[in-house]
Amino acid sequence: MRNAFLALLALGVLVVLSGSPLTGPRPVRDRYFAAPEPILPMIFDHNDHGDVNCIECHHDFADDSGSGMCMGCHVSDPDLWPRLEQQFHGLCLGCHAEREAAGRSAGPPRACDGCHHGGGPATP
Amino acid sequence: MLLAFVAVFLVTFLAAPLLGAGWYWDAGNALGYAAGAGLLYLTAFGRGTADLRVHHRLGQYVLVVTLLHAFWFLLGDATVTVHLRSAAPAGLWLGVAGLLLQGALVTGALLPRRWRLSREHPAFRRWHRALALGAIVTAGWHVLDSGFYLPQPYQMLLLAAVAALAGWGRDWQRHWPGHVWPGPRGFPVIVALVVLLFVAVRNWPA
Repeated sequence: MRNAFLALLALGVLVVLSGSPLTGPRPVRDRYFAAPEPILPMIFDHNDHGDVNCIECHHDFADDSGSGMCMGCHVSDPDLWPRLEQQFHGLCLGCHAEREAAGRSAGPPRACDGCHHGGGPATP
Repeated sequence: MLLAFVAVFLVTFLAAPLLGAGWYWDAGNALGYAAGAGLLYLTAFGRGTADLRVHHRLGQYVLVVTLLHAFWFLLGDATVTVHLRSAAPAGLWLGVAGLLLQGALVTGALLPRRWRLSREHPAFRRWHRALALGAIVTAGWHVLDSGFYLPQPYQMLLLAAVAALAGWGRDWQRHWPGHVWPGPRGFPVIVALVVLLFVAVRNWPA
């Protein structure tokens, strides 16, 4: 049993340091969208979201709060930037989980690399 | 033992029982809930236990399941390792803290001469229990912070109540002397069954 503990611990440290052999490339934190601090890349495909009402995400269509890409405001506005992760996790994961719970087709509701791919461009 | 598993897993199914995160994440999270149920069981029935060897062995099994829960995500999701190398959310660090406390709990109890750490047995029991309660609090906080399978506040309250009953409740061993230990061989079987059931229900084709 002691050997099993040591083997598992060694495996964990190795995976954290060098990455898992079972996954694709690790995402790289960088200053995507001119973010003030490095953030994870986020993959979003409009084609996968055709059945979602535009205004569910594009609130600026209704409240005139801005225009352009989501990140144009959400990383540059000092009031919005600190809540970037919380807001987008709430919006994206919240919607995916809600649809999943209702038995409808949904995007990844939980897996980190479902949206934060390694090796892919940052798109929102 | 079964009661601990039923109580913990039942709470997760009270609301949105079909909410799944994909079989891989559901299996990893089921391992975490199984480890939590095992920890609660060992804490509730640890005091005055009849067979210390069974308690020791089950403690090691629960720690292995906790390690599997952690490494499951490290192995299967590249972003988790990036999180751990940079700015992980507080909930993830709470899970790591719970794992370390549980590691100290088990390895400290298995030292060949544990009395070297605390000269008298009651002192050993005190810090062993303190470590167990610390592991329950940090792991419980980690679960509540994640909250994926607990979308309703009452589920969080119920889970906290189950943990409080196990950790701070009466001496369950004395008040329930006839309960049956699953034994070291029974524990992996129970864990495998609940993980399979958890994954199957949450990923059943609509």
